[in-house]
Amino acid sequence: MEKIIEIEELTKIYPNGRGIEDVSLEICQGEIFGFLGPKGAGKTTAMKIMTGLIKPDRGAVRLFGYDIIDQYEAAMAGVGVLIEVAESYPYLSAHDNLQQFARYYPRVDEQRIEEVLAITGMARYQHEKPKKFSLGMKQRLGLAAAILSRPKLLILDEPFNGLDVQGMIDVRNLVKRLAQEEGTTCFISSHLIHDVELICTRIGVIYNGKILNIASTENILKDYASLENYFVNEVERNGRV
Amino acid sequence: MAVFKIALINELEKLYKKKKALAAIVFSLAVIILGQLAIWGVRAGFGIRGAGGGEFPLLILSVVIKTVLPLFVALAAIDSFSGEFSRNIIRVTLTRPVSRFKIFSAKVVAAAIFILLNLLSIFFLSILISLFFNYKSLTVTGVASTFWAYMVSLLPLLVLVLGVILLAHLLKSGLAVFFAAVLLFLASELLALILPQYAGLFITSHLGWYKLWLAHTFPLAAVLRKLLLMLGSGVMLFVGSFYLFERKEF
Repeated sequence: MEKIIEIEELTKIYPNGRGIEDVSLEICQGEIFGFLGPKGAGKTTAMKIMTGLIKPDRGAVRLFGYDIIDQYEAAMAGVGVLIEVAESYPYLSAHDNLQQFARYYPRVDEQRIEEVLAITGMARYQHEKPKKFSLGMKQRLGLAAAILSRPKLLILDEPFNGLDVQGMIDVRNLVKRLAQEEGTTCFISSHLIHDVELICTRIGVIYNGKILNIASTENILKDYASLENYFVNEVERNGRV
Repeated sequence: MAVFKIALINELEKLYKKKKALAAIVFSLAVIILGQLAIWGVRAGFGIRGAGGGEFPLLILSVVIKTVLPLFVALAAIDSFSGEFSRNIIRVTLTRPVSRFKIFSAKVVAAAIFILLNLLSIFFLSILISLFFNYKSLTVTGVASTFWAYMVSLLPLLVLVLGVILLAHLLKSGLAVFFAAVLLFLASELLALILPQYAGLFITSHLGWYKLWLAHTFPLAAVLRKLLLMLGSGVMLFVGSFYLFERKEF
């Protein structure tokens, strides 16, 4: 199967000593990969490097075979991103925010903007400005922006942030549908183990900046009652809960 | 080029939809009207001759070039950089298939267009007011040279904006950038007065270079010297700011 994400010995250490060290991963087309770890484990750092927001100390990231540093535009052409809290331009309406992003993709037209607004439940707020939005609404708009270009790869960092129960269910269903119907590859980080268990086909556990283990959800659930038990066990084996 | 064009359209749309940009132009225009009313008042009340119809647009330029124009273009630049750096709003643009160089260049070009529009609107309104109050002293050659004086003022203002953009990469908050820019502007003006032999090195001293273009005998050497100094400063400020923008972590 085609490799969508290739990460080789990725290392980034901040001045405070935290960060990630020697993270290596390969994710194939159609997978929903769950990046699981407690807050501060290095999930966001890895995802920021994957999307070019920060540069690694060493190591490489290739998306669709393109290097994220040297071939940025080609690497990001088929990627939808949501990193941490979804921000948007507060003085533009939700619709105008999406229109700004849509211009970068030749196949995204007005109809697609309307479509993603409907999918994320933001259609009725499209003429309102995000400065008045709740965290959940901002997150929905961020998701709309991420899926706008019909990306072949979705990188979502804590996509359930600020969402209510219905919102979480909607996002889970959306991700599953995109993977099944459109073959979208998803890379999702979350500290919400239950949600990761429900949607991800493969799980990577990161702790203290290092990948502890990578396994398919199916295999994990053969050996453990839940993903939470697996996670606790993996972390315990490496020295702490 | 197509991607750069999109980035530029986006920057211009953001500038247009921000109320601050519109307010800047409206305020600049208000300064002209107030200026003309003041001249009219002085003339009518004290019998003192103010600027004639042909001189009025240049009088306005001499005032706004060192006051409202630098202020508003600096605010627009601060909004475009520091404003988007704060709360990491810029991430939503950076994670699109567009390089940082194109985003940075689009922001600088949008700032240049904003300056140009500001200069054009001030020029046209001041000419309009001159026509209304004292059309007899207006001549075609006078209007043409005044128009040119306004247009060449774009360059020093752009260099000034590049300086503000560099500050936006060195300081964290937009407010700090604003105050640092104002202090540096005043310091530069003061130093140019104290050390006139080194005045050419200070960015603000170039703001009045439009006067060189109005001289009866064209001072080619002086124009070239100023032009090269501004281009040199501009290139250095552009490269320095972009270097920091490229390395910035969001």
